[in-house]
Amino acid sequence: MSDYLQSMDEINKVDHFLDSGYKIQYVYENLSGMFVEFGRQDEVVHLQILTADARKYFAAKLQEQTLLQ
Amino acid sequence: MADLRIDLAGIKSPNPFWLASAPPTNSGYQVQRAFEAGWGGAVWKTLGEPILNVSSRFAAVSYNGQRVAGFNNIELITDRPLEVNLKEIYDTKKRFPNHAIIASLMVEPKQEKWHEIVKRVEDVGVDGLELNFGCPHGMAERGMGSASGQVPELVEKQTHWVKEVARTPVIVKLTPNITDITVTAEAATRGGADAISMINTINSLAGVDLDTWNTVPHVAGKGAHGGYCGPAVKPIALNMVAECARNPLIDVPISGIGGISNWQDAAEFMLMGATGVQVCTAAMHHGFSIVEDMIDGLNNYLDDKGIAAAMDLVGRSVLRYSDWGNLDLNYKIVAEINNDVCINCNKCHIACEDTSHQCIDLYSESDRPMLKVREEDCVGCNLCSIVCPVDGAITMVERKSAIAPMTWNERQSLIGSLSR
Repeated sequence: MSDYLQSMDEINKVDHFLDSGYKIQYVYENLSGMFVEFGRQDEVVHLQILTADARKYFAAKLQEQTLLQ
Repeated sequence: MADLRIDLAGIKSPNPFWLASAPPTNSGYQVQRAFEAGWGGAVWKTLGEPILNVSSRFAAVSYNGQRVAGFNNIELITDRPLEVNLKEIYDTKKRFPNHAIIASLMVEPKQEKWHEIVKRVEDVGVDGLELNFGCPHGMAERGMGSASGQVPELVEKQTHWVKEVARTPVIVKLTPNITDITVTAEAATRGGADAISMINTINSLAGVDLDTWNTVPHVAGKGAHGGYCGPAVKPIALNMVAECARNPLIDVPISGIGGISNWQDAAEFMLMGATGVQVCTAAMHHGFSIVEDMIDGLNNYLDDKGIAAAMDLVGRSVLRYSDWGNLDLNYKIVAEINNDVCINCNKCHIACEDTSHQCIDLYSESDRPMLKVREEDCVGCNLCSIVCPVDGAITMVERKSAIAPMTWNERQSLIGSLSR
């Protein structure tokens, strides 16, 4: 998969969770990329984001969420 | 006609173009000829206890046919007695009262040595002093030049000693042979410097002769490191000027030095905070007359920009220079190839395919070879446009980002706000 397609795949996953009512609860980064924890009521899901473009996109979404809170 | 006059910490000159302290300013004969040619000022070749030089002093690095892309020297400060230089400075100032003459000075780091030379030099009517804390070779082995300039405490202390007796503005010339030039620039400021100048030359060895295995240059089969200057060092110098210009603790004017070869280089240094510039290598390569084009070029540039005075150019780009962490991560440019201009050398494709992000495709259209950028994979690195030999064949164009601007620092702060 090209970097572009991989980043689009990860961006779509971020959108999917946010559109489904999940909120970004926690994030950490290490040598393997970015790990995000989304939460919805008692439900928690995790997403690993590998590509640079998707990590940029995620930060923009986190900013949007922060501004809305 | 723009007003090209500058005022650097009280030192006035008819234009921003000074000759740097170096072989071109070794004597009254040379400096007077330079002033006749149009140079606005000259920093006299460094005065101090007369030294002895070696024979075979210069070497140049040529690259792909460009002569003197870089220049290396192992010449030391003046080898003439102080009295001889002072008489010629006096005569030159008398003949050219409106031109700036700055005396470059280098003595041992002792208070009485600085006091003595400052008083004697100022008595002949110089417009300012430049303390040479930069020469990297020869004198540094004796505790002077860059050996002093690499120790912030020595820079501050010696500047202070000079300021105790100086009646003219004091410029401190800094060495680039240090990790962070702002540290020594701050030290000079704390010592009372009226201005700073940078950069002196960079430690260098021009080359090794593959037949004889001697260094280039060599002195009877032996070499020693020299100081590197010329066009190759310009980006290093420009960054150092800019770093000092944007540092709030360094609130003194800057005289820019380092690879300045034409009016465009000079304008860039001034935009990045230099009040004026000093030139050496270009004059050594092409002669004093290059200043005519520099004056005409800068004048026309200012007129075209609607800027009335050269001083109004100073520092106009400083606020545009920042830390990497303050750059917008979401700013996006991509390469665009104009196949009507492209000569199909394929250098862009090769560069991208081998060393960047593999986003330039080769294809053919009606049997004609074509190149196309896959924009979604292009990271906007600029490499293709850099290696392209044809003007206008590749243009980097801005693409509106779907996401809002965000810097690395903002991003880290945002992510940090979620920490547990």
